[in-house]
Amino acid sequence: MSTLTMSRRTNKADAVARPRRNVDYIRIGLWIALAISMLVWAMPLIFVVLTSLKSENQIFSTSSFSLPSSAEWANYAKALQTGNLLTAGGNSLLIAIIKVPVGLFISAAAAFALSRIKFKFSRGLLAAFALGSMVPIQVALGPLFRTILDLGLLNNPLGVILPYIGFGLPYQVFILYGFFTAVPKEIDESVRVDGGGNLRLFLQIILPLSKPALAALFILDFVSTWNEYAIALVVLQNKASQTIPLAIQSFQSQFTSSYGPLNAFTIMSILPVVIIYLLFQRYFVQGMFTGAVKG
Amino acid sequence: MTKLIATRLSETPGLKTRPSPKKPLLKRIAKGGFVAALPFLAPALAAYVVFVIGPMFSAVRLSLYKWSGFTTDKQVFVGFQNYVRLFTKDPVFWTAVQNSVVWVLLSLVIPTTLGLLMALALNRPVFGRNVFRSVFYIPGVLAPIAIANMWRWMYNPNYGVISDISKALHFGDGSGVTFLSDPKVAIYAIFAAFVWQVAGLNMVLFLAGLQSVSKELVESARLDGANAWQVFRNVTLPALRPTVVVVLVLTIVNSIKVFDLVVGMTGGGPAQKSQVLALWSYSQSFLNHDFGLGNATATVLLLITLVLVIPYMIWSTKGNED
Repeated sequence: MSTLTMSRRTNKADAVARPRRNVDYIRIGLWIALAISMLVWAMPLIFVVLTSLKSENQIFSTSSFSLPSSAEWANYAKALQTGNLLTAGGNSLLIAIIKVPVGLFISAAAAFALSRIKFKFSRGLLAAFALGSMVPIQVALGPLFRTILDLGLLNNPLGVILPYIGFGLPYQVFILYGFFTAVPKEIDESVRVDGGGNLRLFLQIILPLSKPALAALFILDFVSTWNEYAIALVVLQNKASQTIPLAIQSFQSQFTSSYGPLNAFTIMSILPVVIIYLLFQRYFVQGMFTGAVKG
Repeated sequence: MTKLIATRLSETPGLKTRPSPKKPLLKRIAKGGFVAALPFLAPALAAYVVFVIGPMFSAVRLSLYKWSGFTTDKQVFVGFQNYVRLFTKDPVFWTAVQNSVVWVLLSLVIPTTLGLLMALALNRPVFGRNVFRSVFYIPGVLAPIAIANMWRWMYNPNYGVISDISKALHFGDGSGVTFLSDPKVAIYAIFAAFVWQVAGLNMVLFLAGLQSVSKELVESARLDGANAWQVFRNVTLPALRPTVVVVLVLTIVNSIKVFDLVVGMTGGGPAQKSQVLALWSYSQSFLNHDFGLGNATATVLLLITLVLVIPYMIWSTKGNED
């Protein structure tokens, strides 16, 4: 076995030695292709940033690629003043700060029950949760509106927090179920021999062991809560209760042609999420990793 | 060893024959049962039933009623009349069906292939790899409604960047190019924004999947004289199969859900030519105040989703050997 790998190595070294220059050209070509694709991909963002810094005059008279002659920060000020951005940002933050930890805890408890406690219909329940993660929210939108109305929670942050928890569950339960199942069962028995019950097993053993998965789900869920539009659209109907996506939409329908402030508004609204992405990059990859394809 | 999400279904403890505990004492404590599970399950079940499953059943029920959606108005049972109206008298419904189908088909090909290419290119040490990855991925974390606004501005016929590019390339008659206000083109123009949004997500999934491709296998295939395409075709792709399935299923699910982008870019127009099912259901219920038609559309959407997703779930619970 070892000789085999050895001989392969040397073989490879011989084979690689000659066409080396070729390989480098391919590499450089690939890199240039990548760089061009990246520029194309970044173009929408670059273009929006450029517009957000231009005065109205400049937008109308110069090419969209041209750099702003001087940064027009007034666009940002105007977007802040007229766009309900701070109220909406506060609402979005409040909703996310309550929804994400509470929802995650509820999901974790359910995933714990499904993975560690033996009962009859656990498989069916898991399938029911799995299916729920695939059905579009819009199917339930009409009746959901009625439910929230009956609960008296229209224009109330709770009116979106509760459905967000419901719709966030399936995916999280699924991911955490996989993660919890990977924790060795021997731990359960040792906890139980010590006289500990399910609650202790869950809070003191399983949850701490699952920190990486929980952290990843926390970040992913924060972003999707921040971005959610359809449910917010039907539940939060007055200006005071608006979330960021609603504020974007109403700003754009109100100030259709003030392109500078409009783009400044877009930039400010996506900034928190971009910062979160840059800070917690690895969790996004990890979250999707544990999420869809578990190695 | 790659597992699909749904393969976990078959690992449910209730089904496995676990080694029975040696001592009867242990057996008694660890017994569990539904009563022991209930406190952990109750909050999730409550939220799930009240806000997800309940409304979905209500949607199916309401599709059989005539109702404006206002509390003061009565719900009148009309049987399948809403469906008859939907199928025979609502041309927008068929536009929406067509657009949704086209959307799903296109997204099964374009953003997936792009994501795979990005992943293959970035699965090796490349100078600036993290920057590339971030730029490709970032659109995926932005609010779709914000993306809709960015692209709407790019498509602006007078001042938008796409119009400028078209002019520079002497494309069209030079009077500015319309995309979103052209009934034939609008849906594809929105789709372009969707590609921009989701290709990076697919890239990350493929990158994760590529970790499971055996490096030794790739190397030995190379030594056997296989070229890059042959290695990809015969070694990489088979190993990626589970990932490909996940990406395709997620793509279908995300495509059927498309809503925000259309609302933000065209609102379904011009002349409802860029309608999709999810938005049309909403528009009928909330804008036309016809909950019967709206929920009939929602039920159709639900059925389409189930038809597309259930085979996958059955396949993935059975096919563990992959």
